Amino acid sequence: MEAARSAHVSGPREQRGEENADGKDSSNDAKTHFRVCRFIIETGVKLDMRSVPVATACALYHKFFQTASLQIFEPYLVAMSSIYLAGKVEEQHLRTRDIINVCHRYFHPGSDPLELDSKFWEMRDSIVQCELLILRQLNFQVSFEHPHKYLLHYLLSVRNLLNRHAWSRTPIAETAWALLKDSYHGPVCVHHRPQHLALAALYLAMHTYGVQVPRGEREWWQILCEDITRAQIEAIMTELLQLYDMEAKCT
Amino acid sequence: MGGTTESSGKKQGKDSVRLPNSDRQANKDKPTRYRLCCDVSKIDCLELLPYAMRCYHLVAFVSYRGLAGIVFRCPTGSPSLTMDRDLLRQSVSYHGPNLFSLLKCEQSENPDFKYVAADLAKSVNQRDKEDDSPVVEQFIARKADLLFAPSWKFTAPEEDDWQEATQELYAVMPPLEQFMDVPYEERRDIFYRDVERGDMVIGRITSIRDFGFFVSLICTAGGLERDIEDLEITGLCPIRDVPSSGNHDDPLSYFQIGDLIRAGVKDIDRYHEKLTISLYSSSLAPNFNKIKLGVISKEELPLHYIRGEKVASDSSETYERLLESSLGFSNPSNVDYLLGNLGIIDTKSPSLMRGLQSKHFKEDDFASAIRKKQSASWALKCVKAGVDHFKSGRHVEAMNEYNKALEIDTNNVEALVARGALYATKGSLVKAISDFELALDTCPTHRNAKKYLCQTLVERGGQLEEEEKLVTAEGLYKKAIALDNTFQEAEDALRKLQALIQKTLKRKAEEAAREEKPQATETSAEKLRKILREEKRMKKKRRRSDSSSVTSSSSDSSSGDSILSASRKKSKKRKHKRRRSSHSSKKRKRRVSSRDDRTTEDKEEHYPVPANTSASFINHKGALTKLIDEEGGDEDRRRSYGKNRAEDSRGRSEDYRPSRSPEADSGKGRWQFSDRPEDPVLTGVNGREREAYRARRISDDSIRSHQEGSGSSRHAVSRMDFLSSAYSEHSLKLDGPMKDTSWQAASEERSEGGGRERKDRAREDCGSNRGADGKDRRLSSGDGNRASAGSQKKDLPANLLDIFNQIAEFEKERKQKK
Repeated sequence: MEAARSAHVSGPREQRGEENADGKDSSNDAKTHFRVCRFIIETGVKLDMRSVPVATACALYHKFFQTASLQIFEPYLVAMSSIYLAGKVEEQHLRTRDIINVCHRYFHPGSDPLELDSKFWEMRDSIVQCELLILRQLNFQVSFEHPHKYLLHYLLSVRNLLNRHAWSRTPIAETAWALLKDSYHGPVCVHHRPQHLALAALYLAMHTYGVQVPRGEREWWQILCEDITRAQIEAIMTELLQLYDMEAKCT
Repeated sequence: MGGTTESSGKKQGKDSVRLPNSDRQANKDKPTRYRLCCDVSKIDCLELLPYAMRCYHLVAFVSYRGLAGIVFRCPTGSPSLTMDRDLLRQSVSYHGPNLFSLLKCEQSENPDFKYVAADLAKSVNQRDKEDDSPVVEQFIARKADLLFAPSWKFTAPEEDDWQEATQELYAVMPPLEQFMDVPYEERRDIFYRDVERGDMVIGRITSIRDFGFFVSLICTAGGLERDIEDLEITGLCPIRDVPSSGNHDDPLSYFQIGDLIRAGVKDIDRYHEKLTISLYSSSLAPNFNKIKLGVISKEELPLHYIRGEKVASDSSETYERLLESSLGFSNPSNVDYLLGNLGIIDTKSPSLMRGLQSKHFKEDDFASAIRKKQSASWALKCVKAGVDHFKSGRHVEAMNEYNKALEIDTNNVEALVARGALYATKGSLVKAISDFELALDTCPTHRNAKKYLCQTLVERGGQLEEEEKLVTAEGLYKKAIALDNTFQEAEDALRKLQALIQKTLKRKAEEAAREEKPQATETSAEKLRKILREEKRMKKKRRRSDSSSVTSSSSDSSSGDSILSASRKKSKKRKHKRRRSSHSSKKRKRRVSSRDDRTTEDKEEHYPVPANTSASFINHKGALTKLIDEEGGDEDRRRSYGKNRAEDSRGRSEDYRPSRSPEADSGKGRWQFSDRPEDPVLTGVNGREREAYRARRISDDSIRSHQEGSGSSRHAVSRMDFLSSAYSEHSLKLDGPMKDTSWQAASEERSEGGGRERKDRAREDCGSNRGADGKDRRLSSGDGNRASAGSQKKDLPANLLDIFNQIAEFEKERKQKK
């Protein structure tokens, strides 16, 4: 494991798709990551997790596999530990028993709940062990600034720009929120600033419904985030939308 | 608010007011309808108008605001559509024909789209957005069924009472247009487009006239937050909208030029761009009803305005910097708060991913459901282990397992039934009943729970009957019958009980009438003599046999007196009953318990019927009861350690009911009986209280003079025992140090019990088979007896002292009263 880690400490973040020389391998890895993230998000729903803890869990997972190899670490175990750790970080404490139960049922659909025997306790131990591993791998930097609160503040500001009836019939907030949540299927969250991600989600949502705001000397999105260009927004949007294509490929 | 709004906003605003001006009309019906037209045209979907007008009839009685909201949601709420036609049209007209063709391609299998498609084709204008990326259009087309589904939009949250936040829960930002430098004209237009009746505005008084005053608006408050300070928007507040206060003739005299005024928007003339405002809070929307209108101070200005002023004065301040520096932004719960504000339910918020649609989630896969199932099976395991323990007689272990099971899974039916059965076996009928009832609450068809509950209810009824709580017992029998109307035992018991109640009432009335005279003629000297005589006799008896002196003394007293003779007859009947009720318990015992059958003989043997006791003895005891009652509370409790302890053992003996002497019961029952204020006998007793008291004092003196130790103190204890029965509830609560101090009394009580039991055992050793538990207890109490035999003499004086202190104190009190 030590060796594996040192081999993979490859410095700065890499662009997606360039992680490995072998292109096929990397696309396979991306698919695996997508599936595991889907697993995290699905488990989050079943555990009644709020969006921010789920986001943290995914971010932990992506961060971990930025420097670790899929060949060495079991991604689903890392995912389970990420969920557990995220619950702690975001103060929505989850019980390992629930996590194990839900995950067990995910892997064995329709099965009966586990007996609380030694097998169960072994699983619990491995989750806790892996949690420590993640912590060490991430140098104990496990709190993230998420785009969620940016997005919500942006939404509020934009709402005030719009006619209230137009707002109440257009599901901008819902769509932007869903886009943001879905973005955690991929490593977008570790590649971009939270403000940018939030803005891209909002931009895409407004764009989808053809909603326009009064135009001044500067665009609304330039105000919300000073250091972003339209090209950047479109790049992030494309990245977000690719995830939906990815879903078709992975399932 | 579509693509064209921005360009044609002004024009449309004017279009709409070409309709008859609604706001001035007094007719209540018309304005709303016209207003509706205005709003519809404003949102750039004139095709919608007929639709909206149809809907209007449905919602005609809703207030203006609610109406507007509903009307625009009406098309989406239409049952036949799963796509919001209106929204789709807006999107298509924005993105151009490209999107339309993509939609046709992607949604070709969606029947709802076909339904709207023809309609959509009309609204596609040939304008193609230059900055549209094909990826986005592809996305919209693919996800159209989700994005334009009416269910996608959360229903708007109930508008809470709006209130100025006392602390900043989230970063309150100045209006965005302030940063964007939106041109003056456009801002003015969109203000008049968006302002509505019921909005809250804040302005400065610019001039005061006879007919009212003019206010130049500086900001809005509440829902609509706009930058309007430089727009020179003036509102008129007519004098009839200024509340007059008190006897001042001119309400306007309160106001000065330059005052900050908070007001509600009463009327808008969009064409002439005129605003009428009001200071009556009825002019505000319902969710602002707690806001006070009128003059406000600078500090009361809304935060977004204050922040905006700061931005205006400092050009280096940006939205981003302001956002990150505001306190509310670092509030960790601002996400939750804002989600609520925007009407999004976080854990239920949908996803655009096909695989994450809520229909794919089964209720069984959720953590809570699995946990519940898992806990249930775990608990069941514990119950099984508990039953095994129970079968091999390890009752404590069994109880532990049951409790563990219930801890894992509260309301686990099997665990409750098993625990109830164990309680019943142990004689804690009340606890058993509550367990069975809980089990039946959860699972009303559980056969064993029902069966056991019926049996336990009847048994408990029998117990209550012995305690003379006939009505309660009747209730229990009835309950048992209600549960299972084929349960013969319960019906028999009920019939007998009802007959008994009838007889008792009759007899009591007779006795009450008969009793008055002899009581009155008795002198205190006579009473004293009688008491003394009795005291001696009791001691003798105790020496003679140690079979339950408590009870014999009480039944002594019962015989001579007329009240008590009644109760004796009663108890004869009771005897009868008891035999029957012990029958039922016998049956049960064979099934579940290891209890012995000696109850009946016990009772009969232990029912001595000594003659001639003075009534005054009773009264004297009654007086003591009262005395203790009067002293009440803590003091009472402290002094009556002995009592508590006795009670404690009584409580225990309830658990082992069959081994308990019935006379104790009858004595107790009587006391509770005659304590009842409505008892005709007692009312007569009241007057004789003092006399009785004197008699008792003397009798106590006699106790002192005799100094015979065990006998008299035991008598005291026995008295305490009677008293205690009235306190059964709270004295049971006492424990810990109390028990320590009350050891003397306890040891006596136990020695009595033990003695009794030793005798019982001697009698029974030959025949009956007894449960391990009963034996255990008997052994231990026998030990206690042996031990206490030694300590008794030493301990007695303390016990006596206690009682004498009580008496002394009471005397003092009496003197003070005099």
